[in-house]
Amino acid sequence: MDELTREFLIESQEGLDRMERCLTDLEERPQDTELLGEIFRSVHTIKGTTGFLGFRRLEKLAHAGENLLGLLRDGKLSANQPIITGLLQLMDALRGVLRTIETHNHEGEGKDAHLDEQLISLLVELQRPGAAPIIVEAKVSASTAGEAAATEKHLSHPTARSSPPALPDSDTAPAPPTPSSVSISKASRTAPEPAADNNKPKVAAASDSTLRVDVALLNRMMNLVGELVLTRNQILQATALDPSFTMLSRRLDMVTADLRESVMKARMQPVSNVFSKFPRIVRDLSQMLQRKVRLVMEGQETELDKSLLEAIKDPLTHAVRNSLDHGIEMPDVRIAAGKDPEGTLKLRAYQESSHVIIEVSDDGAGIGVERVRNKAIERGLITAERASQLGERELLQLIFLPGFSTAETVTNVSGRGVGMDVVRTNVEKIGGKVELDSRPGNGTTLRLRIPLTLAIIPALIVRSLNQSFALPQGALSELVHIPPDRVATAIEWIEGAPLYRLRGQLLPLIFLDRMLCPGLLAATSNASSSESESLPERDHFIAVLDADGRRFGLVVDGLADPEEIVVKPLSTVLKTIGLYSGATVLGSGDLALILDPGSIATRAGVTMSRAEEQAGTALEDEEDAMASKFLLVEAGDRHAAVSIADVVRIERLPLARVEYVGYRPVLNFQGQLLPIEDSAGVFASAAADPEAQIIVVVCREGNRQVGIAVSHVLDVATGDELFEAGSQHRTSGVTLLNDHVTGIVDLRAIQPLPVSSHADEMQHSQWNQVPEDIEETVA
Amino acid sequence: MSVQPVAKSSLAFRKEALAPVLLEMCSVRVGPTLFGLPITHILEIVGHTCPQDVPLAPEFVGGLVHYRGDVLTTVSLRQLLGLPRQNANAKYGKDGCHDIIVLESSAGCFGLLVDSVGEVLTVSSSDHEPNPSILDARRSALFAGAYKLQQGLLVMLDPEKLDPIRLGATAA
Repeated sequence: MDELTREFLIESQEGLDRMERCLTDLEERPQDTELLGEIFRSVHTIKGTTGFLGFRRLEKLAHAGENLLGLLRDGKLSANQPIITGLLQLMDALRGVLRTIETHNHEGEGKDAHLDEQLISLLVELQRPGAAPIIVEAKVSASTAGEAAATEKHLSHPTARSSPPALPDSDTAPAPPTPSSVSISKASRTAPEPAADNNKPKVAAASDSTLRVDVALLNRMMNLVGELVLTRNQILQATALDPSFTMLSRRLDMVTADLRESVMKARMQPVSNVFSKFPRIVRDLSQMLQRKVRLVMEGQETELDKSLLEAIKDPLTHAVRNSLDHGIEMPDVRIAAGKDPEGTLKLRAYQESSHVIIEVSDDGAGIGVERVRNKAIERGLITAERASQLGERELLQLIFLPGFSTAETVTNVSGRGVGMDVVRTNVEKIGGKVELDSRPGNGTTLRLRIPLTLAIIPALIVRSLNQSFALPQGALSELVHIPPDRVATAIEWIEGAPLYRLRGQLLPLIFLDRMLCPGLLAATSNASSSESESLPERDHFIAVLDADGRRFGLVVDGLADPEEIVVKPLSTVLKTIGLYSGATVLGSGDLALILDPGSIATRAGVTMSRAEEQAGTALEDEEDAMASKFLLVEAGDRHAAVSIADVVRIERLPLARVEYVGYRPVLNFQGQLLPIEDSAGVFASAAADPEAQIIVVVCREGNRQVGIAVSHVLDVATGDELFEAGSQHRTSGVTLLNDHVTGIVDLRAIQPLPVSSHADEMQHSQWNQVPEDIEETVA
Repeated sequence: MSVQPVAKSSLAFRKEALAPVLLEMCSVRVGPTLFGLPITHILEIVGHTCPQDVPLAPEFVGGLVHYRGDVLTTVSLRQLLGLPRQNANAKYGKDGCHDIIVLESSAGCFGLLVDSVGEVLTVSSSDHEPNPSILDARRSALFAGAYKLQQGLLVMLDPEKLDPIRLGATAA
């Protein structure tokens, strides 16, 4: 394909994207001449270029569209539902031809010719004013009843929908006015006016200051920057002792960090690139399903790595389809429920620390927990006995199981039972998470938690076979350390199969070294089964992994630091081994292979057996119980408890890393400022020793994170509720841990970081009060 | 040294009786044999690098090395020829370290682990002989004939045939 054609394809695609946005907007404000002009230009450009390049089929289609659009633009015709539908069909046809050109390098003449003819005659038909309703009626008989509703609506308000506006002060609006439509068109007219004015200069400016860059080039730049970072690290190490170099290497350090950030930024695209296709989808689906839906989109400017945007396109489409089909009710049902007959579907994107959250929420019926339970039993996904034990939250999770659907009939929108599991697997594939909230009668919110970039993932570096391996944090649920003297007893065997009792549940173990080096075992011991069960008396670490619901423990020789790693692809030869998903270069300059927990589980034969399924339920129960599980810490000479569910991680770091904003200690934690509570005076007591290490428990509170300085982390224990003697009121803020009454740290009381000039007042935090309460209660 | 440029794809070392073409070959030594690689396919020679082992990888894979921001798969010529792993490297004395020749093939870049890299030799296409028929199948698939030099034979290697992707396909 020559350069000219390629250029034409890209340009036309962009034009059509613009046209799609404008068309759905046009439906809202049919008289917007700006929009009509924009659509006309897109089609006109395609027509012009195709004539030049000799694509006759495209030219014919574009020409028919242009004629219709010309009439619309000149105000001889006004845009109504059938015209917009016709134009959308034209757009699809144009896209189809462009795709054929892209893959086959020709227009695919012939086989679709009659479709083209049909479309062209439809477009010609639409050019006659008054022809529209006839065509729509013809369509009704052929297509779904959904359009009938739309048509009725159209017919009942013909003046409001299709008459030109009658604003005397607007010089673009054509005459003649219909008295009854004045107020309506006024309302619809006032809003778009300023928007249209603002848009024009912005569009022009954007095209002047941006240019297209090949993604491959960006990837290459990203690689080179990664390389630069490593070289910088080595230079920093090498020049640390030479004072004359220090300044230079500092500068290099700064420039490299800046460069890295810029290149990362260059790969980012606003989510509006994905969101922009939803108005069309929602429009088509709501017509087909006879729903009335208003689409609200927020945070479209939120940016995400390009490859991730691609990856969430499908899951989001599934989620939106689900919301329309299962979430939002029919208008009459909504009215009966006392709701606005028009449902609202909200797409919202925002950034939360190193993740971008994309929410799809509707104000529909919500998910009926009982219905989910019955369907799951009916489809044989769980047993009735087990279903009866599940709580509301676990039941909601069932909709992510493959094969689950509550739809009574299979429609072409949804109901085949693929959908939510696709959403979950796709999002998890890119290291994201899916959360679901549903309030019966009030709607459902699906939350996709997507990492900012795909190229960099958090991983734990583990050691085995004297080599480093990276384990993606996403699959890691916990780490267990087995000291040398307990190795013989802690790991149990069933005929050569190693197991570990994790809180009473048997966890299958996989020894990484034995798996990667099958010869090792035979070489070091005589292959008798009793020998293979004896382990050397040294430290063993179990990384408890969760690979698509399969839980197992990976036994490694050692743990190194968690690191944010840059994923590098492996060559095909090594990819076929299957156990590695990539390689990475560690901060030290060493290479590490990235382990793929899923393949490890498969290779070792770990499956979702019945026993483990039950273990899975136990885990979920455990998560429920998490609220009453506490991390017992010692701050100063007092004990306090932090709810485990709130704890993000525990950091041990040098005291020197703690900085101060006013009187308030803060920590630069993963590039963000973390306020630290230190009312117990942990920092002050450690300050004497310049090398002192401190422990900070990083907690999540609402949508912020806070740190709590402690002297020791003691234990994780289940807390029992306490009741006031006599009144039997449940106490708050204290719990019974290991038979001692312990105060729970009230995270909400930790004041947020000063936004402006209130730094001086921040020292009076309420954490002071909490330990005092404990002492009182204990006393 | 007057050298005529050689087209990248001219790996069919045919004897041209009329006008002998001069070619530049990088000589490398593995075991007792002197091998030659056309310099047109060499991107860089990286000395003293310790490749990272890849457990469970095919025998011929010498490990991974970090090269200009990418992770390169290397092919160990020793293991490919069925020679024992060389632990005590004469040049570096430390085990696991090698000279690596970064080669470019049609499918991408890869590294070739050799015992030592020698000088660049200029050979004439008139001195080229095809593989002898008594060579075993594995070797004759890798070698592209030999040049008769005064100091001995220079066995030609074809970078395309050493590509790990191709080796992986033939091994399977």
